[in-house]
Amino acid sequence: MTSSSLRSLAGTLVAIAAVATLPWWVADQYQLHLAALIAVYWVLICGLNLVVGFSGQLSIGHVGLLAIGAYGFAILAGRYEWSPYLSLLACGAIGGLCGFLLGLPSLRLPGFYFAMATMAFALIVAELTLALGDFTGGGVGLAVPPFPEPFASPEGFYLLAAGAAILITWLTRNVAQSQWGRGLIAIRDNPVAAESVGVPVFRMKLLVFVVSGMSAGLAGALFGSLQSYITPDTFVFELGLFFFVCIIIGGRGSIYGPLFGTIVLTALPEMVAPLAKLGNLFYGLALLAVVLLVPEGIGRVFEVLSARLRPRKLEHGAVEPDARRLAELLREERSR
Amino acid sequence: MIVLVSGLAAGALFAATALAYNVMFSTSKVLSVTTGHIAMLGGVFGAYVITGLGLSPWLGLLAAILVGGLFGYLTDVIAIRRVVSRSDEHLWLLSTLALATIVQQGVGLWWGTEPRPFPRLIPQDFSAGLADQKYWLPIIATGLLAIGLELFYRRTLYGKLFVAMSEDTFAARARGIETDRIRALSYVIAGVIGAVAGFAAGQLTFAFFALGLTLTLNGFIALAVGGLGSNVGALVGGAALGLLNAFSANAIGGEYQNTVSVGLLMAVLLLKPEGLFGARNVRPV
Repeated sequence: MTSSSLRSLAGTLVAIAAVATLPWWVADQYQLHLAALIAVYWVLICGLNLVVGFSGQLSIGHVGLLAIGAYGFAILAGRYEWSPYLSLLACGAIGGLCGFLLGLPSLRLPGFYFAMATMAFALIVAELTLALGDFTGGGVGLAVPPFPEPFASPEGFYLLAAGAAILITWLTRNVAQSQWGRGLIAIRDNPVAAESVGVPVFRMKLLVFVVSGMSAGLAGALFGSLQSYITPDTFVFELGLFFFVCIIIGGRGSIYGPLFGTIVLTALPEMVAPLAKLGNLFYGLALLAVVLLVPEGIGRVFEVLSARLRPRKLEHGAVEPDARRLAELLREERSR
Repeated sequence: MIVLVSGLAAGALFAATALAYNVMFSTSKVLSVTTGHIAMLGGVFGAYVITGLGLSPWLGLLAAILVGGLFGYLTDVIAIRRVVSRSDEHLWLLSTLALATIVQQGVGLWWGTEPRPFPRLIPQDFSAGLADQKYWLPIIATGLLAIGLELFYRRTLYGKLFVAMSEDTFAARARGIETDRIRALSYVIAGVIGAVAGFAAGQLTFAFFALGLTLTLNGFIALAVGGLGSNVGALVGGAALGLLNAFSANAIGGEYQNTVSVGLLMAVLLLKPEGLFGARNVRPV
């Protein structure tokens, strides 16, 4: 094992330890709630990152899938009294199925059309949760059951969500570093060239979209349980925009950039009171600033800064010209 | 009958939004997410000037036009100019989306998140039924806008520059056309079109900050159904969408509006991807 991979392993272990022990060093319950919320969001955003950040499909409507997961959990675990764990897995499956049904027609469409189709999907889900009142409780909403012990307490729930987040980070990291990740980036940067070298463009796009649907369904179930009561107003379109903005601000084609974006964008409005008043306006401003100034995302800024602070070692030592070979070459040239 | 008329009136607003899409698309090949928000601004500022400041409807119309044109110009300056020269096709989508969010939330903070009534523009009592101005004002406005736009394209030098740019931007630039200025002008014109339509349809939609997003979607559906780049298509698509929405709301209830609209979009994209009047797309290779 080389020293750099040892160092990254140590870094990962320290990060996991920090995440796992967080309930014992946060200041109050509210911060713990915030941390659980970040973990739940990250489960969704991590899957969405494969779609937006890696394969370059601009889906702004994942809040629809989140809503499906949350309502699915509320109905399965609440009304039909399934085991919460089974319901959680079922919500992942439902999310994946909905992702498949949504992706099958819409992933064939070019950029703007696809974004509009996903946005329309989010609006349709919002409309149906209101309209199908017998099933979803309509505008009144539904109570969502908590998880049983040991995950019933805030600390327990946080650990459950963080575990799911770490698991999904590990999965997407494996995907991103394999041939698959390269293929997805190729699709993002130039679909025509990707297809010409044998990347099955549509199949890969659809597959990552289904994966993102599954992660959104899981996140939805966790989200519903965290909120403990959901109404159609919980899943406004702006929430979908927020997920999207987290990825763009963090930087496309990276995993830790969007993670950073999620943490900052979730925590910042809660910590800084004036920003909370601005609400979604703040996300719009942040998105505009990033798109105009650093289209590669905040992650890129850190890369540039670290390159500035730690300049690469330059090669010292004189280069000896091979005078004899040069003279021979020149002679050959002249005699030709 | 009331279904037919109200459907046509809503369709007129969708058609005007689609026209604004077209004007911007012709010079920059950009489908701006802000298109629906222009109409929202027209409605909100019209209501603000007439009800809030107590001025005459004509001044309200003037304010709507000014705000719409200014917003169109700002869209070009902020979200398009720096981005359109880069080859990455996604950037304009992100920048216009950001600007649309900023405008919508900004208006929400300033104007409030509840829909507010739009004042009567012409004295008329509310018992007029079908002849009510809230139905025929948007229809007439959209008709005038479409005719004006067509005359502008056919009869004026600037209109011909637009057409030249929509055919081939590089060739137009090589012939000495200042493409940047023409593009900015097209955004101003699109802003005026959207704002006038939003103002005329204000009594139908109310002055509501979240109207922009719905209109962006519905205008886009009208455009995709009619065919991207075709003004006739925009009018037909808008009318078709408005009528479909109205009749389906009448038949199965108003809760499924978006579902029905998107169903129409999907059906058209599957059967005739270039839309009813659109030019067939060239392949990406």
